[in-house]
Amino acid sequence: MVFSFIVIPLLVAAFLPLIGKFSKKLLPDVLTNAALAYLLFNSILLVKPIFHQGVIVQNLNWLGEKVNLQLALDSFNLFMLFTIALVSLCISLFSIDYLEHYGHKSTFYALFLVMIAGMNGLVLVPDLFSIYLFLEVAAVASYALVAFGLGYDELEASFKYLMLSVVASAFALLSIVIIFGMTGSLNFQAVAQGLQDLEARLVVGVCVAFFIMGFGLKAALVPFHAWLPDAHPSAPAPISAMLSGLLIKVSGIYALFRVIYSVIGITPVLSRLLMALGTVSMVVAALLALGQKDIKRMLAYSSISQVGYIVLGLALGTPLGIAGALFHLFNHAVAKGLLFLNSGSIQHITGTRNLEELGGLGKKVPVTAGTNLVGSLSIAGVPPLAGFWSKLIIIMALIQAREFGYALVAILASILTLWYYLLIQRKAFFGRVADRWLLVKEAPFWMSAANVVLALICILAGIFFSPIFKTWISPAAEALARGVQQVLMWGL
Amino acid sequence: MAIQIILLCGLVIFSGLAILFKDLLKAALSLAVASLFLGIIFFRLGAPYAGVFEISVVAGLITVLFILTIALTKRGDEVTEARLVKLAFPVFFILFLVIDGLVMKSLLQKIPALPSGPEAGSFGQVLWQQRTFDLVAQIGVILAGVLAVLALFRKKEEDKDE
Amino acid sequence: MSPTILLWPILFPAAVAVVLLLIPFRVRYVREILSVLSSGALLYLGFLLFSQRHLSLVSDWLGLGINFDLRLYHFSSFILLALTGFLFLICLFSAVKMKNHPRVREYYGYVFLAAAFSNGAVLANNFVLLVFFWEALLITTYALVTLGLKPTSHRTAVKSLIIGGFCDFAMILGIGLLWASTGTLTMDKIQVEPHGLTVAAFVLMMIGAIGKAGAMPFHTWIPDAALDAPVSFMAFMPASFEKLLGIYLLARITLDFFELKVGSGLSILLMIIGAATIVFAVFMALIQKDFKKLLSFHAVSQVGYMVLGVGTAIPIGIAGGIFHMINHAMYKCGLFLSSGSVEHRTGITELKKLGGLAREMPWTALGFSVCALAISGVWPLNGFVSKEMVFHGALETGYPIFAIAAWVGAIFTFASFLKAGHSVFFGPRTTEVPKTRESEAPIVLPILILAALCITFGVYNKLPLQNFIQPILQGRVEAGEHLDFTAHALDLFNPIAGVSILCLIIALGIHFYGWNRGGKKAYLASEPIHNLPVLHKLYDLSEARFFDLYEQGIKFLQWLSRLLFRFIDRPVDYVYEKVVTAVGRTFTGLLQKAHNGQYANYLAWTVGGLVVVVWIILQLLK
Repeated sequence: MVFSFIVIPLLVAAFLPLIGKFSKKLLPDVLTNAALAYLLFNSILLVKPIFHQGVIVQNLNWLGEKVNLQLALDSFNLFMLFTIALVSLCISLFSIDYLEHYGHKSTFYALFLVMIAGMNGLVLVPDLFSIYLFLEVAAVASYALVAFGLGYDELEASFKYLMLSVVASAFALLSIVIIFGMTGSLNFQAVAQGLQDLEARLVVGVCVAFFIMGFGLKAALVPFHAWLPDAHPSAPAPISAMLSGLLIKVSGIYALFRVIYSVIGITPVLSRLLMALGTVSMVVAALLALGQKDIKRMLAYSSISQVGYIVLGLALGTPLGIAGALFHLFNHAVAKGLLFLNSGSIQHITGTRNLEELGGLGKKVPVTAGTNLVGSLSIAGVPPLAGFWSKLIIIMALIQAREFGYALVAILASILTLWYYLLIQRKAFFGRVADRWLLVKEAPFWMSAANVVLALICILAGIFFSPIFKTWISPAAEALARGVQQVLMWGL
Repeated sequence: MAIQIILLCGLVIFSGLAILFKDLLKAALSLAVASLFLGIIFFRLGAPYAGVFEISVVAGLITVLFILTIALTKRGDEVTEARLVKLAFPVFFILFLVIDGLVMKSLLQKIPALPSGPEAGSFGQVLWQQRTFDLVAQIGVILAGVLAVLALFRKKEEDKDE
Repeated sequence: MSPTILLWPILFPAAVAVVLLLIPFRVRYVREILSVLSSGALLYLGFLLFSQRHLSLVSDWLGLGINFDLRLYHFSSFILLALTGFLFLICLFSAVKMKNHPRVREYYGYVFLAAAFSNGAVLANNFVLLVFFWEALLITTYALVTLGLKPTSHRTAVKSLIIGGFCDFAMILGIGLLWASTGTLTMDKIQVEPHGLTVAAFVLMMIGAIGKAGAMPFHTWIPDAALDAPVSFMAFMPASFEKLLGIYLLARITLDFFELKVGSGLSILLMIIGAATIVFAVFMALIQKDFKKLLSFHAVSQVGYMVLGVGTAIPIGIAGGIFHMINHAMYKCGLFLSSGSVEHRTGITELKKLGGLAREMPWTALGFSVCALAISGVWPLNGFVSKEMVFHGALETGYPIFAIAAWVGAIFTFASFLKAGHSVFFGPRTTEVPKTRESEAPIVLPILILAALCITFGVYNKLPLQNFIQPILQGRVEAGEHLDFTAHALDLFNPIAGVSILCLIIALGIHFYGWNRGGKKAYLASEPIHNLPVLHKLYDLSEARFFDLYEQGIKFLQWLSRLLFRFIDRPVDYVYEKVVTAVGRTFTGLLQKAHNGQYANYLAWTVGGLVVVVWIILQLLK
């Protein structure tokens, strides 16, 4: 059951190019969405067992012989799996209409599914080297997807992304190799145990620095962020949504904090360092977003800024901080997915993403404008949308931990966020309709539908955030915090 | 030993070039050469599997892919490059190498020796019995690479259609 | 009665807001009827809850002491009643005034949302809940200001958002500090002595409260909004709702959360803010040439009396401040609505172009006059009573300077309202205004209701004082002391009232003298007498004698106004408008320059970042 999260997307991906030979559109659409819907369904089915058992560890037998195929699922993983399945399902729904003019849908879907398989694998494995491998699976697929438009800019962005990403993976791998060299094992628990017995603080410190750089680059933390504003806007809108909404969180934040919480252990030193990094990202990227004219670039910088919030909350390490950060992770995945899809709708409708050229679209395309407003306000943290609660919880956690300075910066950054999202609203949707947009039509059905679904999630998660928080977020945060308790302090 | 050093220098120089070239085509070529060097180093260090993987996937598949698609695509306008920016990377890189050299040596001495034991055995045994899961991931990587080829080469066909 | 009824004042207007937003623009009357009926229902609910007095609804919410906690008691039920009452009057007024507004759907939606949030803020008994509603109000305010549809509306809306955001931010920090020191977020469980960290908490929360009420220096958006926002918004938010909420919170802060001692530093701080707001804003009001803008500066000035009253920490002062809050909401709402009525018929709010409208718009003129006399503190209207109480309180603290400031405010308040009333409703009819007639009943009715309330609350002042204000102060008065405001002789014959009346007379003198000197058109009526042989000389003499004095006085006043404007109002404004924006833009520009698309550059940062991270970790490990 757990294994299907990796195998099903891979299998479907393997067959899609063949299917694409005789069915250009219908079958790939149906198969991909069905596969993702199954994953979503599956992750919901798993809630109950996880709730009762706490952790599911699954071993697989191959032809009667026991092979080392181990997956571990706890509430934190499940939370991530659910988020991935939910957001990617909406994105693939959106792609049904959006990908029409790109052609080669089957290849696109296949790469898309490989990326999801990579992310799911990354989330499920309890082993350092496997993390690296699945990181690469998702990354290789994402290189190709960023360049999917095949323009010069897209290729350049993809190449830059590849080069920086390879550097990051190399450092993460180096760190994994050093840790393997010291402890002789790769399993989280075994490594944590091994590190505890060793007296090698300096070496481990350097390893952690490599992890922070490697995974931090994937998560686009400042100063490792520079690839993102080029790579994310260049990709087709669904892929931008995928990258910003999910990939940076899974291969960056999840990987970094899984390693830190479950292997190395969060210590005051690390906590302080990561909080500083998160805060710098939050502020610098928010300021950068203010100056952008391209909607997607603005959104890309906003992703960096919001990742800063999540890292700040997770690095704080208090139960409330972790819970707030995870909730923000979910909210940001949904809302940023929505906004990138929406920018795709805008591009589809008008043919441009330049804010200066847009104007007054609100009256012509109410669905696009309305969903954009919901997404913007959610990320900007306006009550009663979901983003408000998660930011509030993070800020409250900071105050509770008596980190008043950070709380102050977090609040100020949220004002900046509101500012540039209002800028989008004003320039693109409010005001008089520019003459050239008088004849535009609303986006096609599936595109609007995906937007509406995501917007509804933003609203519902905000209104019913109390039960959601209790059933989803708190257990996930507890699972993470348990990991911390298991990893005894080794003195960093 | 001399060959080792030449190979390492080549690796570093071509990696640096891959970064510094503004022309994407040259950059991609340099990357291919750099990964070729890396592959050879893997072979010489007694890691043929890694070498094969490196040369086939990184040097072969991905970079060739890029070289071809870039060559097929028209270039955008040349962006003028600030001198200061050109200097920034070499400075940081050299700084990094120096710090690396100073710190790593002392650090490496502090790394405890690899405890011989649980995961020893022939490569095949290890791969099959202990690291089965990695095979799944490898399949994923290769699948992604193949699909990338399909995705990035489709343009050629479309051009023909037009 | 089941405590769940407490959800009604919040959920009902919110639901109405959604319905109103959904009614298509073209549908007529339904929107207006629905809004008036549902606000009437809310008013009934307000009475119902007022009769209940004590209700509490607590349910678990976020954990960590953050409960969904609503509490109705005498203070909140009183404010709730006032809020629902004003909502009803505003809806009545808007039914005619706003019916042709192009974005009327949004207008009603935001008004009812704002009502829902305000009711929530008043009922909240948990700080997080309070902050939630408080912040949400910011958005509705922003949206309502943009509905002015003037070119500068959006800018003013952003200004209100930034200023409000700053104040709320201060309040959140203050609440955070208070939480850190008391460990609870439940409002009725908090009672601390201000010292150390809690002094900071007090000041921060106070900024949040007086910022909402619009005291100096957080007022600058209100005069801008007077011109840029719909006039019904001005009557709705800055005149009534924001005052009620801001002073409610200020009173809670000084009465419940912190024990403010008479003569303590914090009390004096509040009184200084109050006195400065009174004097500064009233001087600004005096020189205004626009009807609505003049009113808006008074909306700021009057906050000063409330803050001063509450800041005295003396029961009669606090009672005066709170009483002044409700009085002010009534007459300022009435004044804004009458200016709206004038605007509705003539389309003009400039004082210069208006004149002699009393004949054509008698009811509006009557309502305006009563409200204007009330705000000026003329016996026996409500403004007189509450101002007297504030004067008493200010004198009892032993710092007469604050009472003097309040009196100075009273002089110029009256003077500027004489000017406004004289130029709009009385004096000769101007040619700029075409022949017109009285506004429709739904516009006039709220004004007259408010005027009647002003008279009622003034003549029968014991009624509101004993029913509304006294219960709030229970426990504040030392045992044995009978809480009787008549002990302070709130009638016409006592020294303090004498000074107040003297102030009014001075104002009258100033006005008529200035009016004469200025050669206004009304002046022509007295021309024949002026030309009488003996009197003419007398006039010339007085002219010669008083010319300089008056001119200098006016010049000095104008100079002072300008000075205050230039060195206090503008710099404060500058900080909000320029510094924040410019700093943001500069940083953005710098950062943008650094992101030049050079891969080598990016990698350099990455490597540099790695070096720094390694260095920091190694440093920290040592």
